[in-house]
Amino acid sequence: MSNIDRRTLVKGSLAAMMAGAAFSRTAFADGEPILLGVSGPLTGPNAQYGTQWKQGFDLALDEIVAAGGINGRKLAYNFEDSQSDPRQSVAIAQKFVSNPAIVMELGDFSSPASMAASPIYQRAGLVQFGFTNSHPDFTKGGDFMWSTSVSQADEQPLLASYAVKRLGLKKLAVLHLNTDWGRTSRDYFVNAAKEYGAEIAVTEGYIAEERDFRSTLVRVRDANPDGLVLISYYSDGALIARQARQVGLKQVICAASSVYSPKFLELGGDAVEDVHVGTRYFPEDPRPEVQKFIAGFKKKYNGLEPDAFNAYAYDAMNMAAAVVRIGGTDRKAIRDAFTKVKDVPSVIFGAATFDVATRRVKGAMNAELVVRKGQFALWDGKPT
Amino acid sequence: MSSWLDYTINGLIVGNVYALVAVGLALIFGVSRLINFAQGSIYLVGAYIGWVAVVQLHTPLPLTIVLVAVASAIVGLIIERFGLRPLQNSVRIAPLLATIGISFVLDQLVMLTFSPNPRALPSQLPDVRFQVGGGTIGPLDLLIAGVGLTSAILLFVFLRYSKLGWAVRAASQDRDAAMQMGVDVNRVNQAVFGIAAALGGVSGLLVGMYYNQIDTAMSLQATLKGVVAEVVGGAGNVPGAVIGSLLLGLVESYGVAVFGTSYRNLFAFLLLVVVLVLRPNGLFASARQAPPEPLTGTFIAPSRPVRIPRWALLLAAAVFAVLPFFPVSFYVLQTLINAWLLGMLALSLTLVAGTIGQVSLGHAALLAIGAYTSALLSLTLNVPVGLAIIAGGLMSAALGTVLISPSFRLRGHYVSIATLAIGEIVSLVILNWESVTRGPIGISGIPPLSLFGYELISPTSIYWFSFVVMIALALLQGRLLGSHLGRSFRAIRDDDIAARAYGLSLNRYKSLAFIFGGFAAGVSGGIAAHLYSYINHETFNTQQSILALTVVILGGLGNVVGAILGAVALVGLPEMFRIAAEYRILIYGIVLLLLVRFRPQGLLGTM
Repeated sequence: MSNIDRRTLVKGSLAAMMAGAAFSRTAFADGEPILLGVSGPLTGPNAQYGTQWKQGFDLALDEIVAAGGINGRKLAYNFEDSQSDPRQSVAIAQKFVSNPAIVMELGDFSSPASMAASPIYQRAGLVQFGFTNSHPDFTKGGDFMWSTSVSQADEQPLLASYAVKRLGLKKLAVLHLNTDWGRTSRDYFVNAAKEYGAEIAVTEGYIAEERDFRSTLVRVRDANPDGLVLISYYSDGALIARQARQVGLKQVICAASSVYSPKFLELGGDAVEDVHVGTRYFPEDPRPEVQKFIAGFKKKYNGLEPDAFNAYAYDAMNMAAAVVRIGGTDRKAIRDAFTKVKDVPSVIFGAATFDVATRRVKGAMNAELVVRKGQFALWDGKPT
Repeated sequence: MSSWLDYTINGLIVGNVYALVAVGLALIFGVSRLINFAQGSIYLVGAYIGWVAVVQLHTPLPLTIVLVAVASAIVGLIIERFGLRPLQNSVRIAPLLATIGISFVLDQLVMLTFSPNPRALPSQLPDVRFQVGGGTIGPLDLLIAGVGLTSAILLFVFLRYSKLGWAVRAASQDRDAAMQMGVDVNRVNQAVFGIAAALGGVSGLLVGMYYNQIDTAMSLQATLKGVVAEVVGGAGNVPGAVIGSLLLGLVESYGVAVFGTSYRNLFAFLLLVVVLVLRPNGLFASARQAPPEPLTGTFIAPSRPVRIPRWALLLAAAVFAVLPFFPVSFYVLQTLINAWLLGMLALSLTLVAGTIGQVSLGHAALLAIGAYTSALLSLTLNVPVGLAIIAGGLMSAALGTVLISPSFRLRGHYVSIATLAIGEIVSLVILNWESVTRGPIGISGIPPLSLFGYELISPTSIYWFSFVVMIALALLQGRLLGSHLGRSFRAIRDDDIAARAYGLSLNRYKSLAFIFGGFAAGVSGGIAAHLYSYINHETFNTQQSILALTVVILGGLGNVVGAILGAVALVGLPEMFRIAAEYRILIYGIVLLLLVRFRPQGLLGTM
């Protein structure tokens, strides 16, 4: 009895999987869209970032298709949910590499999920374009790993310069997410801040699920800094800012660009007023690519303000389009096209060109913002 | 010195927050001896109902609280009626799995309705702050404390002095006797679930307002902290849960004070293990209290396992062995590789949980120990990968057994909680012990699988390799179960007092089971590390432990073939539902619930 259970179950699952593969294969014919694979979280603890990617992708695709597509063909993506789980991202990787319609892969979100899949993409010769993968070893996985994630070696000195040189802070407390990103960022920040003459009073790493920072903030208070630096995402950044104000810390707060989101303002409320944020773009930025992005985003999503993750995804899709324009649909030619694309218009970089040695993009734009009256505004140089 | 006052106050404030969840968990445990993993999901539902009330309907605070309490109570009643009541006469472990399934379903429903983006849940109380020590507290702190204490006192009075309360206590001590005395046990369960759910919902609302933030990932964390606090206070003891929560908050706060923020949870879980070792029934359990689990082993009820003829097993093995010769895609092979790796973990867990009755909720730690050992040996000492994986298995067997040994003297649910804590401790040690594990940066560039100098990089060769390893471990385990040793294991599971009277040394046999199980899990982790090439402290997380337990219960506790079948099912199902995109985990949860409903003893039955 259960023997039948077992075999039917297994057979059923195999049949369903093969049916899935067959379906995407028949869908591929000339005139059909050029297909990109996306591996990212749509459910699970990181699901919010996957949904933000989608918003950015969809906007970019609308613009690409409206501009005539790629040599007359549409561009489309196939988003597979990995839950940021390495076990699922490797299965997705096999699915993508064995589907000839997929010309390039984007993602995953977390380092364990992304880098676990890298060997599969590398061996199969499919580009893994990890546009949020700041882990310093991500692009070392092989010559098919490319990233437009802002290098923390670039970003953190800019933030340090904002905090130390421009705001004149001399003794800093650094609070960082204790992840590969947060840890790498902290090290670059601390080095740069010291170089600019500031003292680091204390650094505290916290895990992503943490919600209560009161005791951490007592440690910060006892270290007696004149400024707090948050290497955080927007939800935890807002929590820290709120609790800092609640326990009576009145120091200047500076935050990394990853808090740049309307959600930061919503979740932080009054507590994030006067928080300084080093970002890559800002709403009034006169650069045409920024204006186009923000106007288009608000139009498509009923007035919603885009955030940093929307921008990364939007840029990534535009970069993918630029690469496919040069490389066509051959996977290896696409890899080579990454070395050839020049000055692709980008919200984050202004114009993005890959450094062929590191397979990353250097020279992120810089904007020094501050929260004024519940809105992000360009900092006017006045002390807070 | 004044800082210590501040740390104390902060500890009490956050303990206050934990207490709200812990009280609800304690109430349910007190009556049905069930750790309700869905309590965190009710907390989540309460928070989002509160958001709708506050932001969309603009209800005033008292009305919001009533609304959330009523709506959450209804959810609780539905869970009790349709999720748990049908299981009340089946294996004791089935309801546990059902609450895990229910929590998947509730979390996914909330995520699909409200999107996973975090939302602000503004507090409706005036924003005044009172200076206490070096910090301040607000009206919400007082309200949370008020709700926590009042509900604990009310529940205490209700349990002690009201007729329904007596019924609840009678049912918790002996369900059958209570029924014979005319207690309507179903009504009691309903009352308890309603009250606990109302409390859970209101706590979600208040905590959401407290942080001005709600998101769909908050439910697991709430459950974990709530369970720790509840068990520290003495499972099922409502006032104890409040004190346990405050103690937990204090220990975390002092941990941050002395060692820094990244050690915070380490202290929470160490506290739990210490309490369980010293006072296995929690700090506030009285000596006269009836033992928390029945004296004989009804926790894992024996059922008649499904006998599968040998030829059918051989045929199935042969089919899977030759599968790569047929035109199957690499995706199918990779999915099956995942199933084989999970199968090894399930073999390990089904031995310790099913055969000897130590239901472990921290099994991912054994994966992590094996993975890190194998990765570091092959990277830094250039040990050949094949040997490194075996070393990973051995390390996992040795270290895992030593780490888990404090839980040997515990029984029933307490083992699960202790192992859960030990699992978290291992993960936090990996995060913080940077000189060895490289901390959050993780280990990258782990060499690929290889055997006798040949690299196994094609999916086909990895498939065969993992399949052969799994089958070898399964055969070994089958042999073990049929031997004298296996019978001793089962004797300890079924009645440890009788086993001891018969002259079996419990600790020695439990160690043997963990040594064997640890090896299988460590090998699985080692293979995974070389397959992924990159691991960090998040690769082997709590969800993996819960998944492993789900596989084992689904397959049938102690059942070797069941463990493998369960692994194939639980790796395969979410992949099959990929076509359903965002809905796939919801469907997976529902399928899981249906399986528990109709095969509570597992697909192939307890062995």
